[in-house]
Amino acid sequence: MTTMISWTAATSRKIARAERRRRLGPLGLLTHLALLIWTLLVIIPILWTFLASVKSEDEIFGDAWSLPATLRWDNFARAWEQAHIGQYMLNSVIVVAFSTFGTMLIGSMAAYVLARYPFRGNRAVYLLFVSGLAFPVYLALTPLFFVVQNMGTIPVIGPFIGLNTHAGVVLVYIAYSMPFTIFFLSAFFRTLPTAVGEAAMVDGASHTRVFFQIMLPMAKPGIISITIFNILGQWNQYQLPLILLQERDKWVLTMGIADISTAAGYDQDWSALFAALTLAILPMLVVYTVFQRQIQSGLTSGALK
Amino acid sequence: MPHTPHISRRELLRGAALVPVAGALAACATPVAAPTSSGSAAPAATSAANPFGVADAKPLEVWIFDGGFGQDYAKNIHQPLFKSKYPSVEIKHNATKEITKVLQPRFAGGNPPEVIDNSGANFMDFGALSQDSQLQDLTPLLDAPSWDDPNVKVRDTIDQSVIDVGMYDGKFSVLGYVNYIHGIWYSQKAFRDNGWQIPKTWDEFLALCETIKKSGKMAPFTYAGKFPQYLYEPLLTMAAKVGGNEVLVNIDNLEDGAWTTDAMKTAATAWAEVGAKYLMQGTTGLDHVQTQTAQNKYKVAMLPSGSWLENEQKGSAPDDFEYGMFPIPDVTGSDKMPYGTLHTQPGENFIVSSRSAHPQAGLEYLRAMLSKKAAGDFSAMVRTVTVVKGATEGRDISPGVTSATKAVADAGANAVYYRWFNWYGPLKDEAVAATGELMSGGLTPDKYLERIQKKADEIKGDSSIKKYQR
Amino acid sequence: MLFHRYRRGLFITSFLAAPVILYLVYVIAPYAQAFYIAMTDWRGVTATPRFIGLENFVRLFHDSVFWKAVTHNAALLVLLPLITIVIALFFAFLLNVGGPQGVTGIRGSKFYRVVFFFPQVLAVAVVAVLFQQVYRPDASGMLNGPLMALGLNPVGFLSDTDVAFWSVLAVMVWQAVGFYVVLFSAGLASIPKDMFEAAQIDGAGRVSLFFRITLPLLWDTVQVAWVYLGILALDVFAIVWVMTLQHGGPDRSTTVMAAEIYRNAFEHFRFGYASALGVVMFFFTVGFAILSLRLSRRERIEY
Repeated sequence: MTTMISWTAATSRKIARAERRRRLGPLGLLTHLALLIWTLLVIIPILWTFLASVKSEDEIFGDAWSLPATLRWDNFARAWEQAHIGQYMLNSVIVVAFSTFGTMLIGSMAAYVLARYPFRGNRAVYLLFVSGLAFPVYLALTPLFFVVQNMGTIPVIGPFIGLNTHAGVVLVYIAYSMPFTIFFLSAFFRTLPTAVGEAAMVDGASHTRVFFQIMLPMAKPGIISITIFNILGQWNQYQLPLILLQERDKWVLTMGIADISTAAGYDQDWSALFAALTLAILPMLVVYTVFQRQIQSGLTSGALK
Repeated sequence: MPHTPHISRRELLRGAALVPVAGALAACATPVAAPTSSGSAAPAATSAANPFGVADAKPLEVWIFDGGFGQDYAKNIHQPLFKSKYPSVEIKHNATKEITKVLQPRFAGGNPPEVIDNSGANFMDFGALSQDSQLQDLTPLLDAPSWDDPNVKVRDTIDQSVIDVGMYDGKFSVLGYVNYIHGIWYSQKAFRDNGWQIPKTWDEFLALCETIKKSGKMAPFTYAGKFPQYLYEPLLTMAAKVGGNEVLVNIDNLEDGAWTTDAMKTAATAWAEVGAKYLMQGTTGLDHVQTQTAQNKYKVAMLPSGSWLENEQKGSAPDDFEYGMFPIPDVTGSDKMPYGTLHTQPGENFIVSSRSAHPQAGLEYLRAMLSKKAAGDFSAMVRTVTVVKGATEGRDISPGVTSATKAVADAGANAVYYRWFNWYGPLKDEAVAATGELMSGGLTPDKYLERIQKKADEIKGDSSIKKYQR
Repeated sequence: MLFHRYRRGLFITSFLAAPVILYLVYVIAPYAQAFYIAMTDWRGVTATPRFIGLENFVRLFHDSVFWKAVTHNAALLVLLPLITIVIALFFAFLLNVGGPQGVTGIRGSKFYRVVFFFPQVLAVAVVAVLFQQVYRPDASGMLNGPLMALGLNPVGFLSDTDVAFWSVLAVMVWQAVGFYVVLFSAGLASIPKDMFEAAQIDGAGRVSLFFRITLPLLWDTVQVAWVYLGILALDVFAIVWVMTLQHGGPDRSTTVMAAEIYRNAFEHFRFGYASALGVVMFFFTVGFAILSLRLSRRERIEY
């Protein structure tokens, strides 16, 4: 980005703009058309699902685009009560809240130390973490299952972190989020200026204090974006909870939805499936739309750092 | 965070202990306490009334496949009966549609539940369970006194075929509770209204398909395209009818060329023709419920299924639908087995896990299930026939069950079955995949059979897969 | 001074202890064990898995299903990044440089960006179930309904072996595009507007604007996108497992490495063999990562 053109004659600009408008004008319509097509591609499947969620069973099996004769809100009642969507969603929220918090806390601690404190073995530890980015999780599934099971046999705390426990899943999520979190956050910490921290140290602040009160606030943009990445990634997890949580009341939302999809085949309750899908989709879209500015800028600044 | 290092150190030690081989891990993970075979070796005292030594203090965990029969039969019939005798044993009832997904990790983790109805489209591989000695030997159950009459052994109250089919590695390990009767299912009402006749020969069957197609009222035939195992069933039954029972025996025993016999070619060719000409549109993408619902809406005339069908569809079939079934028609005129030959097979396969905490209670639960009362109530509730002899005597049964029961009586000794799909999971996967292709025209009958044969040969030559014989 | 050194050491240790231990126990230990299991015939809970050396690897060499899965991953590795990046670049360009001024964003660009991003916030498993319904093979399917109303034959989106793979790819692209539109938009926003203006005054049209300015300046971002999407293509599981018939069918036409590993381990109880497949997948993924880092001009892992 070195070739900065500094030509600022206002008048020539105006002329140039008029000229451009003439040349590029008709394309505006085509541009909108192209964008509109993709918008429809994105929205229609989602809207169609919402529509089907208030249809009767017969209407779902009938013409795909017919409108429902009456709005069947009871589909939602069934999805909520019998299919336990509420429970699954709550489980997902609990697990993701704790795991994201834990990931960010210990991930940022590790990233900070690795980025700012040269010591023997620093690079080895860093590479150990970062190499995990390329490991396919499927290789680890079976042994992981036994590791978590063995955790369950530890005295006192075992029952809280073994199989079929949310805390166990939280710990696993945290561990598997380390490579990504440390990779990006340590890159971020490296870009921060050192002067403020050093000054505080001279004033007698401890390392820990410098981290929590000075460095962490400075790293806020990076922290926010990696937090969002982790929330999305952990909310989406399907494979890990699939092997770690067998009891239905512990399931997270992704497992619940996949299960309802299978169950719909046996119970012939497709309308409840669509209602469940709607319940899984709608809150995410609402939350996203409310926070879209922060999410978008957060995500991209993280990825581009 | 002052506490972190302490917990972490303990975890570190733990972690260091974990790093060694997984085998050692598995050994640690598995409580070796599980008694091996006979209930008499169990800690709790046995008696005539409590032949396996059920312990009052230990719970009993039951997992039911929540499919065509639902799960209420277990909650409302079997479990109360068990409770009536052992009121202090806590029963943990569970149900799922995905047995493998939910329970496989429990087996791998060494804490399987006691009783499992290992059924449905995604049942656990029996061969692997057996190879891992996960299956409790049920022979003591056969030799125990029956629930109803202490002078009659359980062995004498159930169909012999259950015992034959439940054998793994020379031990009776799997209890099929229901007698599945396979055939081609149709609506007696639709056939009557349209003047269609049950086809006795394959030519008549094709002619009927042609008539139905021309009538424009409905499609002639469909099957659960998402699960092509619904179609290899009539295909294999037809091959057995044409070439004799040994066709299936050889397939089960992984004999060389068992899949590529002339009888198999005849059957594959016949069904490929149905696939090419008479399938309902979209069949290959639909599952069993969608196709069965289409039949209930009179969009399609016939589909292959089993005796669980009527109960499975009780919510969606019209009251006057009148399910009926007919057997595979005569194909060549010189078929080795006569008209009426049926594929019947004990299904709804219950197992007791040998490594569960309380296998004695599992055996006792099965004994309760095999009582006349339990089996009779079950038949009435889910409209099907159990393997318990005479359990439906004096009870009202539905048209579909009547039709199926009559077919069984007509078949007499001409009943066939096959077991390879329970023994060799990978072979089942291949047959499922290939059958879908056969029906959609992606494979010629010859290529189809060659492909499955190739997989069978591969399994035969794979030393890591345990082999079974019948 | 010594005291300070001690404090520093204590600080480093206390900050690294929890992450390192968690990571060793839950990530490194399982991977290490998996390499051993891959050399056994372990089928679940046998107390003593038999050590069989490289037998599993010999077996997988002849496993046509696994190699079919590998070719699907390879196809995805090429197609998913290519299609996604082309579409995303196109839209990002239109959104940011497509306005009537030629250099400003188009009207409503914010709206488009928000909507395009929707699929990204949905869980993959949810998307898989959603498209299972969209792709239904009869008139009740969102896509086949209109097709059949027009008198056309329904398309077996998931049931036709020639089509199913493309249906999977389409869903993956559908979900991924929005994120990369936003990513590229951010990249474009950091390009000074004057550059576009200058080029346009030189008489450049939109096409040449794109190739002369946008693409070269976004090249780094495109590379990042390629690596992300490549790993996504190698790791794909939930879409295939949840959406397709017979978990990777029909007739294995959509199966991928991860699905075969899961199938062998958790359906056929062949943990040893599944781990061997996992080891192969491990080398493919690590190979891809190293390769792309080498090819990438920004040696991102270096510091």
